[in-house]
Amino acid sequence: MNNSPVIQGRLGSLIVTAFFFIAGIVALYDTTSYSDTDSQVFPQTVAIGLILFTSISLITQFLKPSESEGFGSGIWWRRALLIVTMLLACAAMPYVGFLPAGAIAFAGGLIAAMHDRWSARTVLVYWGSGIVVMVAFFTLFKFALQVPLP
Amino acid sequence: MDFGSFLSALTLLNIALALFGVVAGTIIGSIPGLTATMAVAVLVPITFSMEPASALILLGAIYTGAIYGGAYAAILLNTPGTPSAIATTFDGYPMAKRGDGDLAVALACFASVFGGLVGALALLFLAPPLASVALAFGPVEYFWLSIFGLSLIASLSSGNLMKGLVGGAFGMLLSTVGVAEISADIRLTFGSQTMIGGFDVVGALIGLYCIPVLIDLCAVPDRHLKVEEGVQKVRIGEAARIAMKSKFNLVRSSVIGTLVGILPGAGGSVAGLVAYSEAKRTAKPEQKFGEGEPDGIIATESANNATVGGGFIPTLVLGIPGTPPDAVILGALLVQGVRTGPSLFQEGGSIVYTFIYGLLIATVLMLPAGLLIGRYAYKSIVTIPKAVLVPAVGFMTIIGTFAIRNSISDVIIMICLGVFGWVVGRFGFAASPIVLGLILGPIAEQGFVQSWTIGAATNNLTGMFFGRPISQAIVAFTLLTLLVPFMIARKQRKAELEAKA
Repeated sequence: MNNSPVIQGRLGSLIVTAFFFIAGIVALYDTTSYSDTDSQVFPQTVAIGLILFTSISLITQFLKPSESEGFGSGIWWRRALLIVTMLLACAAMPYVGFLPAGAIAFAGGLIAAMHDRWSARTVLVYWGSGIVVMVAFFTLFKFALQVPLP
Repeated sequence: MDFGSFLSALTLLNIALALFGVVAGTIIGSIPGLTATMAVAVLVPITFSMEPASALILLGAIYTGAIYGGAYAAILLNTPGTPSAIATTFDGYPMAKRGDGDLAVALACFASVFGGLVGALALLFLAPPLASVALAFGPVEYFWLSIFGLSLIASLSSGNLMKGLVGGAFGMLLSTVGVAEISADIRLTFGSQTMIGGFDVVGALIGLYCIPVLIDLCAVPDRHLKVEEGVQKVRIGEAARIAMKSKFNLVRSSVIGTLVGILPGAGGSVAGLVAYSEAKRTAKPEQKFGEGEPDGIIATESANNATVGGGFIPTLVLGIPGTPPDAVILGALLVQGVRTGPSLFQEGGSIVYTFIYGLLIATVLMLPAGLLIGRYAYKSIVTIPKAVLVPAVGFMTIIGTFAIRNSISDVIIMICLGVFGWVVGRFGFAASPIVLGLILGPIAEQGFVQSWTIGAATNNLTGMFFGRPISQAIVAFTLLTLLVPFMIARKQRKAELEAKA
């Protein structure tokens, strides 16, 4: 029996909890630099709460390992492509404008989510509908809603 | 209340404005990133040349439509179209995934109309006495109200309360990032210019709810939503029967929504969460909230639409906006030369009552308009190929997040938060407690700091936090909400042990 997903789930859960614990410590440290008690008291209280909850969570996970699913199945390059192209669009936006940058994100998402075989028809219909959607939303936001899109 | 105002509201122009407002509001509200406040703000300029009552009817209709429209994206894309629809995702998306999206959309419409009517009727009959409720709420009550909202974490954490509390606390920390409102200290930015504006709630909502769904959708070849064979229409009759069966939940949630709407600054998201929490606390053992329970949608949608009428009560009677869209509408009223305040109902009675009747008409019109739009929204989402849906929604998340503050930083934060939400979600840390913390954090902080300051100044911290009757009632409800899931689980375990024996 392959129990690697179970181990991955338990280990990952511990790592994520430890991350939150460290975040609490870092936040607590950051509050020491504030000049005013009023801006200090709330984040300090919450950070202490976070440290407390993560400590209890870590202890309970050691005693009774959590049964989270882990990353599960799925194709990693598709997930990565979607996110990378969205971030790439953000980076390109000030230089190429909103619509071409949005097209980069759209293209990445389309390739990432396309699991069927490409045909001439799907290329035409999917890319065509993408252009229509992007231009429609761009027009709505830029001209009707007066959003200053780059 | 007079019959003349009712007839004034029934003019062809006012009915047309109400219908246009509801349709426009529903469409705008269904787009993630476009909130009810934005919907109202964008359309305010076109009301300047209108009669005050007609302008109010249009703005009220847009507002109520936008609050309802938020449910579409929540149900069909797991992304709240507006923050008011956060709790709609809890059961709406699971329903859509199992093939009941059409039923969920119809239920949301019925609940929204009912809640909207209750809120508008409260505005019509109870405005002056209810407005005094708003004045009875001080900072400590707001603090406890936000803690009451956070107690929902107990019921959202599905078996792992500690992970839920960790998420909630982390969300509250995120809400403090950026420039502190009280002292202008820069908090938790670690020198980053991107973080200095803090986390915008709507952008964070889009990231935490929508991006994980997109990541999961593109990774596997399965269909995005299950489609029931032979079902071609929105299941109106079935939805009406379910709504009738849950009439107590409908009424209670609508009353909660109206009361929360009256409290300045609380808004539809808090109302929806409190109503959801109450519905879950009083649920029957066989009801599985969080797994596609229709009562979850009924509670949230009736409550958030009831805040529309409820929010107008302090706006019109006291001149204090109950919700952010009310603040925009208040501004529009001032431009029109209408002075809100206790005397408005006497001096400007005809305008106010025409508006209230108009709001009632708009809410009724939302039923056919909402069901029709819902039908097409549902059919479009289920029939669009996943390869087009994923990039189209991805594009909408970018443009919607950018539009909030015209900031590319917000878009980057939204994407990074989404990836973070996906990773931690895979290890049992759900997004909802983080979102709850993020939304309720500012309300809690303001109430906490103000109460702390007053308590310290009067040398009576305990009395300040625990000595006021409304605070005591909210604390009691909070404890009840936290303890009931444990008591039910204990009772069930005991019953199972007895059955085995």
